[in-house]
Amino acid sequence: MVNTRTPTGAPRNALALLGSLTGAALVGALYSRSQPTVAHSPTKTPVPDFAKANLAARRLNRAAGTLALSVLFDSALEHYRGQFRNRAMYTPLVTAAMALGVSAHGTMDQRQMPHVVRDTVYVLTAIAGLAGTGFHLFNVRRKAGGVSWQNLFYGAPVGAPIAIGLSGLLGYLSERVRETPSGQAPMVWGLPAGRVVGIASGLGMAGTTGEAGLLHFRGGFHDPFMYLPVTMPPVTALVLGRTALGPAGTERRATRWWLRATAILGLSGSAFHAIGVGRDMGGWRNWEQNILNGPPIPAPPAFTGLALAGLAALSLLEDHPDD
Amino acid sequence: MSDDPLITPRAVHGRAPDVFHPGGWVPMKEYPLREPVDFVVIGTGAGGGPLIARLAEYGYSVIGFDAGPYFRPLEDFASDEASQSQLFWTDERLVDGANPLKMGANNSGRAVGGSTVHYAMVSLRFRPEWFRSRTLLGYGTDWPLDWREMWRYYVQAERDLSIAGPVSYPWGPKRPRYPYRAHEINGAAEVLARGAEAMGYKWAETPLATVSAPRGDSPSCVYRGFCRVGCSTNAKQSQLVTYIPRALAAGAEIRDLAMVGRIEVDAAGRACGVHYHRNGAWHFQAARNVIVAGYAIETPRLLLNSATDRFRDGLANSSGLVGRYLMTQSNQAVYGVMDEMVRWNKGPPSLTITEHWNYDDRKDFHGGYCWMAQGPLPVEWSAAMSGSRKLWGARLREKMADYNHQVGLKMVGEMLPHPDNRVSLANEKDRYGLPVARVTYSWHDNDKAMIQHALGEMQRSLELVGAKDIWRQENDTNHLAGTARMGNDRKSSVVNADCRSWDIPNLWICDGSVFPTTGGVNPSLTITAIALRTADRIQMLQQTGQLNF
Ligand SMILES: Cc1cc2nc3c(=O)[nH]c(=O)nc-3n(C[C@H](O)[C@H](O)[C@H](O)COP(=O)(O)OP(=O)(O)OC[C@H]3O[C@@H](n4cnc5c(N)ncnc54)[C@H](O)[C@@H]3O)c2cc1C
Ligand code: SF4
Repeated sequence: MVNTRTPTGAPRNALALLGSLTGAALVGALYSRSQPTVAHSPTKTPVPDFAKANLAARRLNRAAGTLALSVLFDSALEHYRGQFRNRAMYTPLVTAAMALGVSAHGTMDQRQMPHVVRDTVYVLTAIAGLAGTGFHLFNVRRKAGGVSWQNLFYGAPVGAPIAIGLSGLLGYLSERVRETPSGQAPMVWGLPAGRVVGIASGLGMAGTTGEAGLLHFRGGFHDPFMYLPVTMPPVTALVLGRTALGPAGTERRATRWWLRATAILGLSGSAFHAIGVGRDMGGWRNWEQNILNGPPIPAPPAFTGLALAGLAALSLLEDHPDD
Repeated sequence: MSDDPLITPRAVHGRAPDVFHPGGWVPMKEYPLREPVDFVVIGTGAGGGPLIARLAEYGYSVIGFDAGPYFRPLEDFASDEASQSQLFWTDERLVDGANPLKMGANNSGRAVGGSTVHYAMVSLRFRPEWFRSRTLLGYGTDWPLDWREMWRYYVQAERDLSIAGPVSYPWGPKRPRYPYRAHEINGAAEVLARGAEAMGYKWAETPLATVSAPRGDSPSCVYRGFCRVGCSTNAKQSQLVTYIPRALAAGAEIRDLAMVGRIEVDAAGRACGVHYHRNGAWHFQAARNVIVAGYAIETPRLLLNSATDRFRDGLANSSGLVGRYLMTQSNQAVYGVMDEMVRWNKGPPSLTITEHWNYDDRKDFHGGYCWMAQGPLPVEWSAAMSGSRKLWGARLREKMADYNHQVGLKMVGEMLPHPDNRVSLANEKDRYGLPVARVTYSWHDNDKAMIQHALGEMQRSLELVGAKDIWRQENDTNHLAGTARMGNDRKSSVVNADCRSWDIPNLWICDGSVFPTTGGVNPSLTITAIALRTADRIQMLQQTGQLNF
């Protein structure tokens, strides 16, 4: 029986090529050297290093920015598709753009103090994420059939606004790490920062997996690669969660690999989606329609953003043993 | 040489059109005329398509004949209602009876891929009880097939056609998940949903044979609603883009623009080949088995036209039932106008359905029906308004202005089998010199009672959602079935459960004409499931030495 599931010609070759490249990158991540970490001897409590706290904070800004970038383009596409029927549909564009701006600023900012504008924007962004989730839920419930697969698939995506909320949260955490006084280990809400960031990114990753799972289910998992984002990130989330709750101050090669792998997956996801766009009617020649109707190219890097946050958490944990 | 697929056959010289690429070709095996092939299949539609593919995949030599053209949808189908007529069987047929059927656009396609090239893609399963409607429900006649076995073949058909359906289907026994998720519903479909909810009935997204995500070289549906003009994107999973390419890859040959006029029977009373008209001349193809899959009008016509001295009443007709028990399905509708913009033509026409009255037996007539959301294109709509509502001129123009606010519900209802509803031969001849079909049809009391019930229900549903200017289209019918019914004995049926004729052991009939009853859902998925079963049965019979060829 002939295979009628997979495409022929250019899309098939592109899928094969991208699949191999992704595989190679994942293997590469296995062998690339991890960040040099201070070797801790169990007897000597290391002096917390504020440059390291600053580095972690900037990494978190980078993670928040990556998420904001993903949300900015994704919500721009989706809300343009929805013709901005409601004024509130501009909100994620504005907040994501601002979050992106302050994240860029924070990523370059070597100072040890939080920045009031950054802090405010991040808090607002987190709130906007929560509000958006409410709006989307309301939209789904209002439709015929209420909370049904039809409306979860095609109504406003309930999980999407959470991504911008996470960007705000990560940014907020970044500011808290950054304000760590000299000689102290970074703490958030009275807890070790590495653990808080680790748990937050792990939960975010689990949520994003849910969103990807819902939409890939809607797409009938018509391509085997569509299983990747629903299988790898949950493992990463678990591994990260275990690390965040486990002993600190030790090197975590496995966790680091899973996080890197997820970061890579987020990027190659965009390329996979681009191939998917090319498989719709008219292919890339008809990009104006297909970019809107095909798989969302900007969405997968949300995983990258969360994985970067996870890596920041990992460094915090490795650098600041708290037990 | 002309490249008009309506004039010049395309599947020649060892190649057939590549339906996925404009101007493209795929290699095709060709069989010599004189050497008998294992199977000749007449008709390449819902029944013929899967048979050709499965038999070829089992390793048999197979030729599929179709009187119609071999299209490449991407280049041959325009998003233009006027181009639709190229898809239909528009040759002359005589109609009579108390309710003469309107033949053509509504019920018979002619193309490689058969009627599925322009069908509305609604892919439903029978209610299990219908396979034993006489015993369990007290009307019609029992099928020789067991619903549990059919359930398995439905799964296979749904997989092969990548049906996009709801995550869980609210009626009938459990079925596995559809291969693709249901499509986004449009405004008209939502009106059905709200109406059903107001009535306390369940509704669902209609399982459709058009993909909601890419599959192979098919892109996902673009929701422009030209499905019945012939889908120009290949999102529609017609036999033309599913089973036929599989058949070619497995070594089958397709002969397009090849009208079979007569099945030849040898001295031993076995079918030995077919006479067909192609490229302006008659030819003979020898075969070890002949399978007829020309649908409910052309199948009996061919059998009757193939009469010999030995089989004076036509082939496979010792029961006298060939051509009898023709059934159509009632297709009445109720239309109305909403205040808000609906745009009912966006997307496949029947995105939601309620099968409530297929599964609820508290009614004073036999049989069941469902109704679905509607979205006729403008020309079709104006034809309905002028033909059924008798609107003309300024009044028609005025009402057409409501087009984007229009909504409608259309039933598919089970008409009961009657021996007097039938296909016979007329004295008139067609362009090949073959007697044309005379199609006689009358509605009976049960049919009328069901139609009135359905019209009342659909009207109530529209009223409950606030539709205005409501009117009923009372005269429409669509799908066909019957005329070569299957059964358990040779006196009361034409073929057995394996679609093998009682009279001629190597003559098979496998299309919509084998239905003993027609059920209250669109028939194509059941036809395809039967064809898949028949292919498996043939393979089984051959392996156990019960076919002898
Ligand atoms: C407009 C329209 C919409 C429909 N929508 C739906 C729907 O949504 N869902 C559904 O389930 N069903 C639908 N149907 C019905 C469905 O298409 C048919 O029931 C089904 O295709 C019949 O299958 P078949 O194999 O019996 O015949 P067909 O699919 O009609 O195939 C018969 C083929 O045989 C060929 N043929 C006939 N006689 C000869 C001969 N002597 N020599 C050579 N070739 C011959 C014809 O050219 C034709 O191509 C629709 C039909 C129409 C017309
Ligand atoms: S609405 Fe979908 S199935 Fe219908 S013609 Fe358009 S693409 Fe094809």
